[in-house]
Amino acid sequence: SIPTSAACDADPELLPTEQHARSVLRESFLRCLLSMANKKIQFHMYERVKVEATFRASDIDVLNFQVSDLHTPIGVQKEALIRCQDVISFTFDA
Amino acid sequence: MQCDWPLLGPLQWMRYVNKQVKVKAGKDEERRGWLLTVDPVSASLVLVDFGEEEEGGRRASVQVVMGHAVEQVEVLQEADEETTVRLQASFLPPETHSLDP
Repeated sequence: SIPTSAACDADPELLPTEQHARSVLRESFLRCLLSMANKKIQFHMYERVKVEATFRASDIDVLNFQVSDLHTPIGVQKEALIRCQDVISFTFDA
Repeated sequence: MQCDWPLLGPLQWMRYVNKQVKVKAGKDEERRGWLLTVDPVSASLVLVDFGEEEEGGRRASVQVVMGHAVEQVEVLQEADEETTVRLQASFLPPETHSLDP
């Protein structure tokens, strides 16, 4: 994941502001992840690979997604982990 | 915005929130949407696209672009107040009523 606070090394007074911004952004992202649980998600991966799966969970540092019923070109994988490094983006309907 | 997106940090990412953005990621792929948030851990962007309003509910399609794949982010326009409110309420839990008198 990403190193913490670069801006604040230069100006310690910015630290509380930056921490607040970080928490607001993270909370919003976690709520988004939460709402994705058990929804059908389309993953866009490198080399124009597109797969669909039911989203279950993510680890805290967003390195892996746990999914069910992953539709691959050679069949349906009941349970799977997707490496986030392989994913460009994913979409779902809220 | 051409520089390294994941290294910008929360204060810079905040400047893109509630704006309509165009994101380049992967090979010549372009996505547009209202930026709801940026995950400070993975730098992933959450883009929301409001579809046509339907009876009995509003549908929105959500695109999450992984931070490591982002090549360029460009602001297209700012949200008006209605869009901002709607955007920020996208994933909030339904309001609960307090039982206190």
